[in-house]
Amino acid sequence: MSDRHQNLAIIGHVDHGKSTLVGRLLYETGSVPEHVIEQHKEEAEEKGKGGFEFAYVMDNLAEERERGVTIDIAHQEFSTDEYEFTIVDCPGHRDFVKNMITGASQADNAVLVVAADDGVAPQTREHVFLARTLGIGELIVGVNKMDLVDYNEADYEQVVSEVEDLLKQVRFGTEDASFIPISAFEGDNVAEASENTDWYDGDILLEALNDLPEPEPPTDAPLRLPIQDVYTIDGIGTVPVGRVETGILNVGDNVSFQPSDVGGEVKTVEMHHEEVPKADPGDNVGFNVRGIGKDDIRRGDVCGPADDPPTVAETFQAQVVVMQHPSVITAGYTPVFHAHTAQVACTIESIDQKIDPSSGEVAEENPDFIQNGDAAVVTIRPQKPLSIEPSGEIPELGSFAIRDMGQTIAAGKVLDVNER
Amino acid sequence: MGKVAAKIKVMPNSPDVDLDALQERLEGSLPEGAKINGVERDDVAFGLVALFPTVIVPDDTGGTEAVEEAFSNVDDVESVSVENVGRI
Repeated sequence: MSDRHQNLAIIGHVDHGKSTLVGRLLYETGSVPEHVIEQHKEEAEEKGKGGFEFAYVMDNLAEERERGVTIDIAHQEFSTDEYEFTIVDCPGHRDFVKNMITGASQADNAVLVVAADDGVAPQTREHVFLARTLGIGELIVGVNKMDLVDYNEADYEQVVSEVEDLLKQVRFGTEDASFIPISAFEGDNVAEASENTDWYDGDILLEALNDLPEPEPPTDAPLRLPIQDVYTIDGIGTVPVGRVETGILNVGDNVSFQPSDVGGEVKTVEMHHEEVPKADPGDNVGFNVRGIGKDDIRRGDVCGPADDPPTVAETFQAQVVVMQHPSVITAGYTPVFHAHTAQVACTIESIDQKIDPSSGEVAEENPDFIQNGDAAVVTIRPQKPLSIEPSGEIPELGSFAIRDMGQTIAAGKVLDVNER
Repeated sequence: MGKVAAKIKVMPNSPDVDLDALQERLEGSLPEGAKINGVERDDVAFGLVALFPTVIVPDDTGGTEAVEEAFSNVDDVESVSVENVGRI
């Protein structure tokens, strides 16, 4: 057991074995509830089946969780020697991308599952790009279903080569990726080195997970606290509520709210109804600032130090990937951008570069349009003031989802901000 | 495709809202195909209590948008945000 914690995303194409791998990891690390195993053993014995069928455990787990009174998503956890992992098992549908970007639990590192008998598939590409956009540090690539290709080394190398090409395309450094031939279903190279892959002498999956770098809490960055709601509380006054993304909020700090451009001294901070002297990244707080009225600030404002206030963009340049759009995107298009708690209509003022997916190089300067599957660098002008940060400086405040017609049509990250 | 559980944070518009009644209104507002699997409560600050319904929606019908919109239109709701999603 360890008290060091990581959020681990499991990504990959549908049917390449994400759920089976999650189940296998839970099972091998002793994280499957005892009663589920017991129940299965009883049922297996009743039916006269000996042994322990792993797939059966998976089914029971899913059923169990759907039936349960509460499903605590955060409780899909397992521990290795080095870390306690919380699994972020990414839903397949693209509309969930918005939640992955604006949600509470961003993944630190990821396991990419690619089936050995299928290779790189459409969602493999999409998820790898998103992983990079969302700031995933390291990628462990599990070349899964090795049992289906008879543990053939050539098949494994073929998939490794395809994935390496893909990583180059999205400029994900291949030195930050490791490759492991596995079978989540049979258990090869997950918790124990497999005899079936004697041509492979690298780390097995649990070793690779142990070797992941420790995520650094973003306490070094300046305070950034996007405001979710603003209340007027009797006897207290105006109370903004939100989650600290980076830095530390201290009682007595002189803070600034942007883009509303007001500020004051923090009088009290409460968390879980208790007064606290400070709040750290991840803490949900309500607080009270001297001299701030209810109409002075609003949802989408970001609170930061008065001497290092949140950046307000006149325009910003971003890298985007178009995920689903019925036609083409041209300059002048004005969809709604979702960034932290803000939702602001923004105009794509110019499409500066289209990135060639086969080389990762600039394919075209100033293209007329971009469409599904394209990655591009664009310049964006918010129609109302928007606080947003370059993802290279404060990644927590540097990514966004673009929505239109009830769908997430693109996702992106901020490269550079032209301040107001 | 499977199903997705989304933990949704619902903030009432004041500390005085009757949370039991609010919870019932949320359940009554659900779009077809979605269901609530339990509601947690979390003390926020200054008497404000957030409701965290876990809502199950199919993975293939387009996200949590319909649920978010339905919850947003319920009386006494200040804001709705998706905290976490995961496949089940």
